[in-house]
Amino acid sequence: MSAMSWVVWRQYRAQAAIAGALLAAFAVLMLVTGVQVASQWHAALIACSANHTCGNLADSLFLGSHAIGFLVIMTLGVPAVLGMLLGAPLLAYEFESGTSQYAWTQSVTRRRWLVAKSGWLLLAAAAVGGVVSGLVTWWSGPDNALQGDAFKPGRFDIMGIVPVGYAVFAVALGITAGALLRRTLPAIGITLAGFIVVRMVIYGWLRAHFAAPVTTYFSLAQGFTAAGSSWQLAAGYAGANGQPISLPQSVNGPVIGGSAAVPGLPVSSLPAQCQAAAGNGPLTPATYHAVLSCAQAHGIRGYLTYQPASRYWAFQGIETGIFVLLAAALLAVTFTVISRRDG
Amino acid sequence: MSTAIETHELSKRYRRVSALTECTVTVPEGRVSALVGPNGAGKTTLLRILAGLASPTGGTAAVLGGAPRQDPAFLAEIGFLAQEIPLYRRFTAEDHIRIGAHMNPRWDASLVRTRLAELRIPLGQRVGTLSGGQRAQVALALTLAKRPRVLLLDEPVAALDPLARRKFLATLTAGVADAGGELTVVLSSHLVTDLERVCDHIILLAGSRVQLSGDIDTLLAEHKVLVGPRKDTAPIERTHKVVQEVATARQSTLLVRLGGPVIDPAYQAEDVTLEELVLAYMGADEASAGKRLTTVGESS
Amino acid sequence: MTWLVWRQYRGQAAIASVLLAAAAAVILADGFQIASRWHSILVACAGNTACLQQQAPLVNGVVSDLPYISLLVPAVVGMLWGAPLVAHELEARTSDFAWSQSITRMRWLTVKVGWLLLAAAACGGAIAALTTWWSGPINAMSASAFAPGQFDTQGIVPIGYAVFAMALGITAGTVARRTLPAIAVVLGGFIGLRLVISDFLRQHYMAAVTTYYSVGGSFTAPGQSWVLAQGAVGPAGVVVATGWGDLYPALPASCQTLLPTAGTGKSGSLSAVFSCMRAHGWRGFATYQPSSRYWPFQGIETGIYVLLAAALIGVTFVIVRGRDA
Repeated sequence: MSAMSWVVWRQYRAQAAIAGALLAAFAVLMLVTGVQVASQWHAALIACSANHTCGNLADSLFLGSHAIGFLVIMTLGVPAVLGMLLGAPLLAYEFESGTSQYAWTQSVTRRRWLVAKSGWLLLAAAAVGGVVSGLVTWWSGPDNALQGDAFKPGRFDIMGIVPVGYAVFAVALGITAGALLRRTLPAIGITLAGFIVVRMVIYGWLRAHFAAPVTTYFSLAQGFTAAGSSWQLAAGYAGANGQPISLPQSVNGPVIGGSAAVPGLPVSSLPAQCQAAAGNGPLTPATYHAVLSCAQAHGIRGYLTYQPASRYWAFQGIETGIFVLLAAALLAVTFTVISRRDG
Repeated sequence: MSTAIETHELSKRYRRVSALTECTVTVPEGRVSALVGPNGAGKTTLLRILAGLASPTGGTAAVLGGAPRQDPAFLAEIGFLAQEIPLYRRFTAEDHIRIGAHMNPRWDASLVRTRLAELRIPLGQRVGTLSGGQRAQVALALTLAKRPRVLLLDEPVAALDPLARRKFLATLTAGVADAGGELTVVLSSHLVTDLERVCDHIILLAGSRVQLSGDIDTLLAEHKVLVGPRKDTAPIERTHKVVQEVATARQSTLLVRLGGPVIDPAYQAEDVTLEELVLAYMGADEASAGKRLTTVGESS
Repeated sequence: MTWLVWRQYRGQAAIASVLLAAAAAVILADGFQIASRWHSILVACAGNTACLQQQAPLVNGVVSDLPYISLLVPAVVGMLWGAPLVAHELEARTSDFAWSQSITRMRWLTVKVGWLLLAAAACGGAIAALTTWWSGPINAMSASAFAPGQFDTQGIVPIGYAVFAMALGITAGTVARRTLPAIAVVLGGFIGLRLVISDFLRQHYMAAVTTYYSVGGSFTAPGQSWVLAQGAVGPAGVVVATGWGDLYPALPASCQTLLPTAGTGKSGSLSAVFSCMRAHGWRGFATYQPSSRYWPFQGIETGIYVLLAAALIGVTFVIVRGRDA
């Protein structure tokens, strides 16, 4: 194995140097700004606890700069870039330039050759994904504490261990595209498109169902906020029979309840008796209380459907596992194709 | 004498195109075989199958007693040089030497260095910036350094000027001599005159079929050019096989494969050159089975 | 020559058209749904701004991310079509063929570059049109058309981005002579430049307008304006952004004690704090680019990218003319 490893190193050492330099620059940027963000956060905490305004800190404090924040979001693209520039050309470039005829008539079998090349490249992709994710996760510590949105799509995808899974999958997808299409540019296009589609399908539909979401009912008077960084999927109101009250597409007129997480319940959706209690015009504290009591008497409660914060790492693990399994399946296809097809 | 290469009814189809059709050849060990034929005849396909880069759709192929397979021991025994000299253009010759050392158990790095030094080809220059002739020499040296027992070369001199061709073939001959009879070479080319100097065996492909194959000396002895008045060839054909007939109004020139002595005094018999032989068989129609031959005279 | 370009690219043109049509279908379907929801909101709210602010967001779900993925389209166009234009011909040595035909290199390059830039502009324009239409209700509801992110996907700037990315790809391929490094340069260069221009340069195209208003009152810049900063400014001109965390230490002590403190039972009223601030000469301020400048900014930014593209293409022509094949 070490002999082929040297060959792989020789082939990729220039690219490794460039990637290393970029990674180092990114790390420096993250470390320097991350320290600034952390101290900004600590100062804000001290200030707000002095005058007890910590409750609405999330709305008023913006940590870091827009530029760096944007760069952090852009790390969503790192796996795709790895797949396009590392994975897609691996086989496609050798086919296009004919060097596969040279490589495959040395004394190394095609499988062994591919194991060495793809193995090291996948390892490198995982390492890059891991380093970037590690930096971003550390950098986002204060922001996660402030906003509590680590579990939300968009944030979930750039922190923790899932970026490693994405990177490995993207490179495997690129390698397979190159094996099947045998041309670099189409392989790059397919890798990008395929990666986006698979990611959208999983974060848009599948992820919410990794485990059955929790639904909590709460009284209108108290409201409810899921603890920690949970992932809110749906919120609304339910009647005494447990059926959700359908809210109109557009709301005009007074509402009761309502918070950052849950929209307000329009008085117009309440039973007639409670609407009568509201009278005409905007609600006064007295009529508000009357409407509220009436609604509660009718058994109307609010509900929140969410994935609790305690499941964050389980979900990270499940999603990473899915992408790693997909990568393995793709690689199995590649190895079969490589052995059967003409060189 | 053992057989280095043996194919039996070997066929290769790509969708609707037949690249090789029922090809049966035998190349004894130690031969330098010329693989000739017009463009599109199937020469590259045959070489790739023997190297294990492509797999047959019909029939069998055997190299050194076994089918070409994904086995390090087998791969170490063969050397393959594709027509486009597919080296890594951004690597130097020295890089290729080191890569070869890592990817081959038997590797003679000094052979490459010595050969390239003799040819005054720089080791530290990117292969892509060398001339076509120099690149071909580097590739040949690298292929020889593997110390293979079977060497498969696909039109290696196609892009070379006459001097470079000479040097290449001289290097090849030297390599064969060094190997002392243990190296079998199959070398495809258009240029028969070059091959005559270097090769002692021939495989002729035309229209995806083997038209002629065997030791060159034997084949030349078995063919004659008969020149005589234009007349019915039926009597001749009872004993011999007429490969090609070129007739004017009064005279006909027949290239025949002898089945016995030539009795008819009307004909003047002349020795045939390799080029005439090759041209005659290359023009042979695919459909006329009479002019298609299988193995001939392999005993040495 | 034009026929040759068509022959070379017709397969890719077909694929690109199919993808564009698919994307259009998705965006149209989603956009109609958003528009109908917006329409019913308008009817229900009848112009009441408080009602408008109560509504749930118009966009949610995965499909609505698609128009933001359109930010990638220029980069993809530059990578897959611009980078190989010259580089692939050089790598495959077909340049030897192409550049020894009876047309000059310059003519060959002009026709190819011309058609590809046109295609890029058309692609960018199509995506821009779709996204602008799709964003209509969102712009109306949150007055955010001028904001970074929204500004980049609507109007005419996507055309400029696409043309620039294509030109960047072509130039990178010509300089590097190899496709893969050119692709990497397009990715990095395009993203980097877009970040620099949108985050640092754009706000300075014209000097921003600063308005002062009474502390405790509210000020909303009219129409689709781009608010750059908003907060309170003290008598000495010390600017403090929004957020009590930043504001609190800057206030005079007499105003600080008036702040209500949750959890200690100490009550107070924000209006008392505001009166105190006003008494001490504090004012509210907002620095913004007014909505009337939306189209001039679109024009300026598009112009910048088109000029950069022209410069890059100029470099390409110089190189191709002078260089060995």
